[in-house]
Amino acid sequence: MRRLSRQRILSVCSVLLAAWLLAALLSLSLGSVAIPPGKSLHLVARLITGDTGREPALETILFSVRLPRILLASLVGAALALAGAVFQSLLRNPLADPYVLGVSTGASMGTIVYIILAASAGIQVTGSLALYARPAAAFAGAALTVAAVYFVAGKSDRRGESSQRLLLAGIVMASFISSINVFLLTSTSQADLRGIFYWLIGDLSRPVDASIYVITLMVAVGALLLYLLSQSLNLISTGEEDALTLGVEVPRVKLRVYLLASLVTGSVVSISGPIAYIGLICPHLARMALGGDNRILFPSVFIFGAIFTLLADTVARTVVAPAELPVGVITALCGAPLFIYLLRRKGGGW
Amino acid sequence: MVSLDPIALEARAVDFAYRGPLISGFSLQLRPNEVVGVIGPNGCGKTTVLKLLDGILSPSSGEVLININGRQSLALLSRKEIARRIAMVPQNGGLPGHQTVFHFALQGRSPHLSLLGFESAHDEEITREALRLTHLEGYADALVSEISGGEKQRLLLARALTQQPAILLLDEFTANLDVNYQVELVSLVVRITRERRLATLVVSHEINILAAFCDRIILMSDGAILRQGSPSEVLTETNLLQLFGISFTVRHGNNQAPEVMPVIRGN
Repeated sequence: MRRLSRQRILSVCSVLLAAWLLAALLSLSLGSVAIPPGKSLHLVARLITGDTGREPALETILFSVRLPRILLASLVGAALALAGAVFQSLLRNPLADPYVLGVSTGASMGTIVYIILAASAGIQVTGSLALYARPAAAFAGAALTVAAVYFVAGKSDRRGESSQRLLLAGIVMASFISSINVFLLTSTSQADLRGIFYWLIGDLSRPVDASIYVITLMVAVGALLLYLLSQSLNLISTGEEDALTLGVEVPRVKLRVYLLASLVTGSVVSISGPIAYIGLICPHLARMALGGDNRILFPSVFIFGAIFTLLADTVARTVVAPAELPVGVITALCGAPLFIYLLRRKGGGW
Repeated sequence: MVSLDPIALEARAVDFAYRGPLISGFSLQLRPNEVVGVIGPNGCGKTTVLKLLDGILSPSSGEVLININGRQSLALLSRKEIARRIAMVPQNGGLPGHQTVFHFALQGRSPHLSLLGFESAHDEEITREALRLTHLEGYADALVSEISGGEKQRLLLARALTQQPAILLLDEFTANLDVNYQVELVSLVVRITRERRLATLVVSHEINILAAFCDRIILMSDGAILRQGSPSEVLTETNLLQLFGISFTVRHGNNQAPEVMPVIRGN
């Protein structure tokens, strides 16, 4: 039994960060224009020293096309993987995940409603408000969906929510909201149907605007605050009454966790669309390697989610090159079999 | 037996209502080095009383006071402050099976950790000591799902001891155990109560076990205290008939705990 300590968490996270750097280098080099990793590294070193402009074509591909996408995939993956680990702990169910629970789909509905309202009302949301409005709408969609899922699942049982019922309610809610999303999108005139279709599966290929800075800030703050609640969530995952007797202010912690997990999920989904199963796959693999203590799981799964999604997105944009798949196709291809495996093993127990 | 110790936990005229009155006028004083048993029929409010005493439920009127360098109302303390003084052993629910016995017991250190703190070697030593006291040291690395029902109950007790509380509340914690395990567990609780000078409240259906081990017995009926006192004062045929609505025979030995037998007539 290894004791958990700050040193152990830092060393695990350092190894994961190194792995992320390697994955990023790999992703920089792969694409319809293959650039050898040595060459990419060389150009990155030149970018850092400010010595640019010698190979403008390659530099454009690396730093204007691939690097932003790498950072976006990492941010989205980190956020969704963390949200998955949080929901699993909160609901005491390893099958919980922002996608399965309908939270991601709810966030995408929030985004769509915002875009349609802004367009149809002819409101020109300008300036700094525009940067916040879309992620805020996605957050609202996510939070409302969580509330609706809880309402549908009904009363708590003695040791807290019946998590199987919650999962079912989430799955039903996700398919319901998906239909609403398709209805909303097809009933309003939209030129870019293929882009929207991709986005609904989860796609990282669309250009990002300055709202990415706001979203990064939201994810960072959300992740830090969730980390502060990691030990309380350890106890809640044992049982809500146990957590109360062990000193956790359970109702208050639960409310905060819902809001923060919705914030983290909603803000990235407003860019990427609802990418499936990242929040299922990454926490599961991290838990197998590191055990179930959230104090080490949360930071590790945050970085691991970035690595996984970055690699999945690299596959998505290279496997049928020069065409691209939405990243959600790759994650669903990995995630659905894992979901079935977890469900069959001990009926979805830990 | 008059104890000179200060009162560890006191309920003063506590009422509690939820869709109608559940507890009315409940008053109780718990002192260190004392084991108090609570007896009453199902639904008389025993578990509710324990939750009120642990501050999980708040009284509709009246108050629960705890002695932390003077008396303080539980209502003004955080869950964490309460959990450093009061440990509750819940009715055996489904314990999550994915943790090791050691890590489950280590959870009891949680109220003593700082916000970003980790369990130290000292915390682990306290946990090992609690596992030793409850005879679980050989199972430290086993998964909770692998141990028996009686061992799970001892594990819940071990986690409560890891909290290093001054007050121990036990809710039906011998339910579903064979009588030998019940006797073993309750005598263990009494021994720990004496060693650590705890104030201990035990809720149980096992009247004879409580009679044999408790310093004081409380009979509860319809959310109120019917009688309280020493086992031989309280466990009388009249009181038990009033409490359960069936006849009992009570045998008093010399300087021994009363033995209680329900009179059961088949058809």
